[in-house]
Amino acid sequence: MSTKKQNLVRILFFLILIFGMTGITLISPKREFSQRENRSLAQRPEASVRRCFSGEFEKDYETYLTDQFPWRDGWIGLKTSVEKATFKTETNDVYFADEGYLIEAHTGSFSGATASNNIRYLQTFMEDCAELYGKDHVTAMVVPNAVDILRDLLPAHASPYDEELYLAQIAQAMPEGMWFESGEILREHLDIPLYYRTDHHWTTEAAYYVYEAWAREKGLDPLSLDQYRKETVTTEFKGTIDAKVGGENGSDAINLYIPKEEEHYQVYHAADGETTDDIYDYSCLETRDKYSVFFGGNQGRIEVTTNCDSEKRLLVVKDSYAHCFIPFTLHNFSRVDFVDLRYYNESLKEYMEKGDYTDILFLYNAAGFAEDASLIKLGN
Amino acid sequence: MVFSSLLFLFRFLPAVLILYYIAPRKLRNVILLAFSLFFYAWGEPKYVFLMLFTITMDYFVGQGIDKAKKEGNQKKAKRFLMCSILVNLFVLGFFKYADFLIGTVNSLTGASIPLPGIPLPIGISFFTFQTMSYTIDVYRGNTTVQKNWIKYGTYVSMFPQLIAGPIVQYKTIAEQMEHRRENADDFAEGIHRFMIGLGKKVLIANNIGALWDTIAALPVEGLAVGTAWIGALAFTFQIYFDFSGYSDMAIGLGKMFGFHFLENFNYPYISRSITEFWRRWHISLSSWFKEYVYIPLGGNRAGIAKQIRNILIVWMLTGIWHGASWNYVAWGVYYGVLLLFEKLVLGRVLPKLPSLFRRIYTMFFVIIGWVLFKCEDMSYGLSYLKAMFGGFGTGLWNQETIYLLCNYAVLFVIALFGSTMLPKRGAAVVLGNGRKKTWAENAVVLIFYGLIFVLSVAYLVDATYNPFLYFRF
Repeated sequence: MSTKKQNLVRILFFLILIFGMTGITLISPKREFSQRENRSLAQRPEASVRRCFSGEFEKDYETYLTDQFPWRDGWIGLKTSVEKATFKTETNDVYFADEGYLIEAHTGSFSGATASNNIRYLQTFMEDCAELYGKDHVTAMVVPNAVDILRDLLPAHASPYDEELYLAQIAQAMPEGMWFESGEILREHLDIPLYYRTDHHWTTEAAYYVYEAWAREKGLDPLSLDQYRKETVTTEFKGTIDAKVGGENGSDAINLYIPKEEEHYQVYHAADGETTDDIYDYSCLETRDKYSVFFGGNQGRIEVTTNCDSEKRLLVVKDSYAHCFIPFTLHNFSRVDFVDLRYYNESLKEYMEKGDYTDILFLYNAAGFAEDASLIKLGN
Repeated sequence: MVFSSLLFLFRFLPAVLILYYIAPRKLRNVILLAFSLFFYAWGEPKYVFLMLFTITMDYFVGQGIDKAKKEGNQKKAKRFLMCSILVNLFVLGFFKYADFLIGTVNSLTGASIPLPGIPLPIGISFFTFQTMSYTIDVYRGNTTVQKNWIKYGTYVSMFPQLIAGPIVQYKTIAEQMEHRRENADDFAEGIHRFMIGLGKKVLIANNIGALWDTIAALPVEGLAVGTAWIGALAFTFQIYFDFSGYSDMAIGLGKMFGFHFLENFNYPYISRSITEFWRRWHISLSSWFKEYVYIPLGGNRAGIAKQIRNILIVWMLTGIWHGASWNYVAWGVYYGVLLLFEKLVLGRVLPKLPSLFRRIYTMFFVIIGWVLFKCEDMSYGLSYLKAMFGGFGTGLWNQETIYLLCNYAVLFVIALFGSTMLPKRGAAVVLGNGRKKTWAENAVVLIFYGLIFVLSVAYLVDATYNPFLYFRF
């Protein structure tokens, strides 16, 4: 080819790449919400002289351009495939583990100031509760994440052991007898899926085994697993880690365990003031955020009254790991209330005084606990 | 704004290309100037006025010097020049070094003068050096005066080289400001350089930089020797691919608009001595210091004692130019001493040693240098060096070392290969040395560009991790 022609072909190719892609970004329809990332996408920002000079407009415009970039999921998937193809065993702090597991490494989560402060907040809270309710009725349970329990599945030579050390620190800070060692129970059941492959939560089965051990320790009378009817409500669950990684990562099943001997509940959602008689919100199965089938997802405060003939009333201070755990406790308590400090801004102390509880359970996952800036509200 | 962003690729670049090429020749400098100011203002909406001030001052000073010289009034010309140099150094000193100077005074005297906390204007070290090169060269009679403000403003603010170099001396493009002929040859070559630079920055520098970040986030006392070296090596590659990638993109973009900037890098990591390394690394900065500091100080013509002094001054300044912090001074002096050592002691021995040994020797000191350079907290930097030499008794390697090495092996191989001339030579063998290529060979080239482009876009869409290292200088 003559050099002239050769140059023209090259230039044409370049211009098609740049202008073609520019054209597509201009005409492609804008999206309000990304199901996959479970967040609202930035919209075209308003320009004003003040916002331009402060640099806000420029920043917002770039976010808008990235958020609205055509085939966003495809590009991110492509990046993930390239990483895999170059033998990288992690991307965005997520390990590509064995058996199709995506496991978050939680790098740095356990060494920050928040992580150490939260131990102190919890310690004080536990001491106060022990005085009020007696130490046999108060439990601190911080559940290990997949990175700790499923370490045999991690890529060769990966060695993130700081979660284990952090959990030991919490255990040590708790008053005598109030720490519940959930990790030990989970390690006895490594033969079943304890965590979702694509999501950061533990499975209903994992929650059951921990519940069972906890209930026995507290002298409650747990139902055995065969007294439940197992209901697989979806096999199409793609969770939060799938969103973080992008690309094609398979999907998970969500199982519910319904007592064969029927139980009745009244579920009060403080967020919208509505009362229902079902602890499951099946409509969430139609959305991406399928884990919200348990109680309809994260809310500040939910109160469940059961038909259990017991005097016992339980308060759970929790994050979303508790959502698949709490249904089992409904068999043992006439009332189970739960508070999520990330969304709850009233006084916890006052709420506890009013509720006349017999038992207190603090239930978080380790990484969530270490990173959560709202635990300071334990002192509210 | 940075080149490796979706905003640049899919908003700024197409807009400037269209307007530049549909405009009549007379208006092209105006268009470049307008886009360059916009480019700068996007990230620094206030400091753009500082740059306009510098441009305008040096524009008038240049004319003043020229006029004084024509009148035969050398003294007056010199006064104009001093005015330009002082104002430029003051601007640089104020915006870049005020905190550092006051902090140093505070720690020496125990005073507690409050730090002004002035944010650093992007690219200030680059554009002040460019404007000074202009006034000095007008004074020396090395270049003609620029009588057109637009053309002068275009030279200083020209977006390809505005925020991270290369430092273009006015005399090297004075002619091009007046009449340049954009042509398909240059444009195609510009595309090549731009694509290579984009890949170097987005695909190699950003990713291997993540490895350095990972390792730097670990407690330094616990780093195995191997891990510490992997981290240092990762940064060594990051800074090269980041900075030379940026220069490639700058030179490539310049070509698209008909400019020919001088090269800034010439495979520095294949050097066989430290002296050679500095002839191949950030060439535009070394030439600037040589021409405007070292030689005026007397260079090597005033005896060995003065030469030693001059070398140390130049390298201290080179160090401090890179950032307002003591580690940069230490890094500069480190190189000053190494260069003197090569000049005075090793000079005769080194050339007789085998190439491989000389390359290892050079890279050893370069890598140590980058650790000094990267760690602004010098006590951390020294601890890191201690870790690299087993000072914490952590052993040669552990699980983590193997894990990180396995994860980044492919990238390391690509980076190592890419630091040498092998890819260029390989391409010449496969695609032929001549400029004329067959259809098939051309197709290979286009696929290569397309691949870099598509992968870069994928990484940019994904990335929150996209900082330019040479932003702060």
